Amino acid sequence: MGWDPFAKKAARDRELDAELSFHIDQRIADNIASGMAPDEARRRALMEFSTVDRVKEEVRDLHWETVVEGFYRDLRYTLRTLMKDRRFTPLAVLALALGIGAATVIFSAFYGVILNTFAFKNADQVTAFYIVDQEHPRNTRPNLTLPELVYFREHNHTFQDISGEFGGFGSTPLRTLFGAGTVQFDGAYLSASSFDMFGMTPLLGRLPNENDVKSGATPVFVIGAKLWRETFNSDPSIVGKTFVLNGVPRTLVGIMPPRFRWAWVDAWLPFSLDQNEIANNPELKGQWAYVVGRLKPGATVEQAAADLNLVAHAYARIEPRLYPQRFAVTAKRSSQQAVEGLGFAQLLYPLMYAVGLLLLIACANVANLLLARATVRAREISVRSALGASRGRLLRQFLVESLCLAFAGCLAGCFLAYVGIKVLRPLIPYNQFPQEAVIELDWQVLLFSISMAVLSTVICGMAPALHALRRDIRSGLSGTGASTGTGAAHGKLRSGLVIVEVALSVILLVASGLMMHRFVQVERTDLGINPHGLVFAGLSFPPTIKQTPEQQRLVFERFFNKLRSLPGVTSVSSTVTQPPFAGPGSDITIPGKVHTQRWMTALELCNENYLATLQGRLLRGRFLSETDVVGARRVAVVNQEFVDQYLAGENPIGRTVKFNRFDQVPALKDQFFEIVGVVGNTKNQGMSRPTGPQVYLPHTIMWSGSTKFIARTAVKPEALLPDIRRIVWETDPSVALINATSLDDLLQKYMYATPEFEFITFTTLASIGLLLVLIGIFSVMAYTVALQTHEIGIRMALGAARNKVVAWVLRRGMKLVAFGMLIGLAGSMATNQILASRIQGIQSLDPWAYGSVLVLTLIAGAAACLAPAYRASKVDPLEAIRYE
Amino acid sequence: MRDDKSDFLKGTLDMLILKIVALGPIHGYGIALRIQQISNDVFQLQQGSLYPALHKLEKDKLLTAEWKATDTGREAKFYSLTIKGRKHLESEVQNWQRVSGAVSIILSTAE
Repeated sequence: MGWDPFAKKAARDRELDAELSFHIDQRIADNIASGMAPDEARRRALMEFSTVDRVKEEVRDLHWETVVEGFYRDLRYTLRTLMKDRRFTPLAVLALALGIGAATVIFSAFYGVILNTFAFKNADQVTAFYIVDQEHPRNTRPNLTLPELVYFREHNHTFQDISGEFGGFGSTPLRTLFGAGTVQFDGAYLSASSFDMFGMTPLLGRLPNENDVKSGATPVFVIGAKLWRETFNSDPSIVGKTFVLNGVPRTLVGIMPPRFRWAWVDAWLPFSLDQNEIANNPELKGQWAYVVGRLKPGATVEQAAADLNLVAHAYARIEPRLYPQRFAVTAKRSSQQAVEGLGFAQLLYPLMYAVGLLLLIACANVANLLLARATVRAREISVRSALGASRGRLLRQFLVESLCLAFAGCLAGCFLAYVGIKVLRPLIPYNQFPQEAVIELDWQVLLFSISMAVLSTVICGMAPALHALRRDIRSGLSGTGASTGTGAAHGKLRSGLVIVEVALSVILLVASGLMMHRFVQVERTDLGINPHGLVFAGLSFPPTIKQTPEQQRLVFERFFNKLRSLPGVTSVSSTVTQPPFAGPGSDITIPGKVHTQRWMTALELCNENYLATLQGRLLRGRFLSETDVVGARRVAVVNQEFVDQYLAGENPIGRTVKFNRFDQVPALKDQFFEIVGVVGNTKNQGMSRPTGPQVYLPHTIMWSGSTKFIARTAVKPEALLPDIRRIVWETDPSVALINATSLDDLLQKYMYATPEFEFITFTTLASIGLLLVLIGIFSVMAYTVALQTHEIGIRMALGAARNKVVAWVLRRGMKLVAFGMLIGLAGSMATNQILASRIQGIQSLDPWAYGSVLVLTLIAGAAACLAPAYRASKVDPLEAIRYE
Repeated sequence: MRDDKSDFLKGTLDMLILKIVALGPIHGYGIALRIQQISNDVFQLQQGSLYPALHKLEKDKLLTAEWKATDTGREAKFYSLTIKGRKHLESEVQNWQRVSGAVSIILSTAE
């Protein structure tokens, strides 16, 4: 037989029934024996037990099953009353859900970006260090020569190992044959023991180690998960294969996990830190490596800095020319170093405070709502108490009610957090986060938010219960809460909460207004071209194969001819720029013009189709012609800004200009270019900065080595990329197509993503803040009205008009709103100064933002007061007074 | 917050019950009758408080109970004192006598 606690309870209940009926029967018998009529005898006997059931219940209360059962009963009662209360329950749950949801999303982002940046084993041991010139603290050296690194590795006492890296961050393109042609990706050299030091498990294969770099060993490399997926189609069979990377055969031994992005590259080549190798290997000779180390267990960053300081000073005696006069070593956790200077990561700190406050405010709102509810229910509590409900029972019921609310709020909050992160993740600006960081719903974070919400709800739920219970039951029965006073301190606290809510919401709203303004500005910025339907890409020629510039130009032209005839492509031009940024700049000389300032212009080298491809505007004269390009004629087209700055009020057509930069090119030395046309300005210094002077020259005047091209497509640009890659390889399999993407994509990634992301985050938070303000004001005013029903009744009985009552409630509510707004505005001024210093393109004093926020807050405040005000105006004076 | 007054009375009722049960196994109704008799009806015992008190004492292992036939042949629950209950009763009685002695001294000297 299984253990069934309720079976035992049932048995006990039966026993109790038997015992009590014995008592009653016995009393009846005695009563009859003493001469009562049977009916009377029974009646008397039953009267002795005021109610038999109550006795039973009290006996039952002694056992724990009853506690469970009671909880269940309370739960049912709570659910019933909560469901019935259509005003209170959704508001409380919504407030909690918004608070938990927003807090979890931002805390998760904070955790993912700042605290859990790297997925290394024991990531907090991974520490970067650099040498600081104490006389010029801005001069820091984060990299060491390889012999220096070897010395540091051997002579320190605080690191388990120190890793060195060079050639990262896009400076080492690796080319290899794959499939029908050549692919190119970024690589970096990493000291062989680094892989073990970082301690990440490869997705496939193994990590390189020191045996791989011993002399005579087969050279190896590993690639990242992203490259494996995108270029190698996640083919597991490539592990173990040999690839010829830039002419050197290397065996691919492993695929690194997605969160390994050291040096922001896709492939890592191990190198040896053996003294002989360093001295003799031409690849390693003279290299400087960026360093990062893993601390020994228990060692602190400060200890490491002190330790390395000694090591560095010792090495400075060996190689004094590497070191400044006075210097010291500074150490920092790698995760800390990784987020420095990344705008959004920095922005996460203020966001986290904001969202923490939102969570607090959500909790405060629920407390207010619960308090309001408890006051309204003071009578119910008194009645129940008088009918014999024990203090414990009533408290238990309040506890159950709070828990129910907290649970519902958490459930909704989890859902919001889940959706929030799902929506947020694709919006994250790619270049604003450490690439290793991932943002996902973190259960620890969620647990934290939930426990905060549950805790605060329960505390807030119990406080009014205790408060209501502490009052004398009899006064509760005869009067309402108003007369017995719910404490001026409570009232002040509640008003204070509302003021803080309004203030915070104003701060968030103003910030989001600024973000929105900036976002709209960026979005609306006229690039001067039509950015939609453009492919941007480049060709990469093999450095190992002897190819003269002339040969490269021929390949490029062959490719161009094929590209032009590719279905879906409407026009093609070569380029050296990428909107909204210009190409290389040059000082200029215009005959007949004398100037003291430096005259500069940006250069674009292109063909006759450039303007048509980008769909720019021709203002005067003509654009470059085919003859200009084929003949490499010395002609130039300038933009309007060029004319405005250097040839204002003159006819620029026919004027000549010399580009001093070309003086280094023998064929172009002292050549003057004739201006043949003027085109409209196109953004060439980023989205927010004004357009600078720019000239367009035939790309044939020199082979710049730049092989970027731009193509207008009649179809979706991305759809053409595989075809473009194919024709590149058809032209020459040793040429790789690189950085192929659409201009829309580039702009989105680098120009629009950050303002959009910041705008969305702030606006969401601000909307949540505003909603919470609505709930907060509503709950406080509803509470006030409930408390003062009697007073309102008397006033109305004495002749106060209904609209006076409405005005009275509105005035009280708006007073709080006004206070909050004043504080919020002051806070905004301060916060926005910080925001403006961290985020480009934000004016800290934006009247448009401030104005709309004030109006919005006033409207919201008034709206939140209206319902309670209406309720107050509907108070029936007679009823209210009788009620008292 | 504890209600001291009712605790005090409850303690008294517990003591009375233990004292009565100490005389020999007895059922709830018997205890009720006995309390009324002994106290000359001073204690208008609310039956509502007797049974909770009995069950609490049983749960605290101061009393044990068994079902036995009464004189009339009907089954009833008979309570008897455990060793723990006897000890508890002794200490309670001593305690009571000390307190009531002290109270009467105070009352008499204050006159």
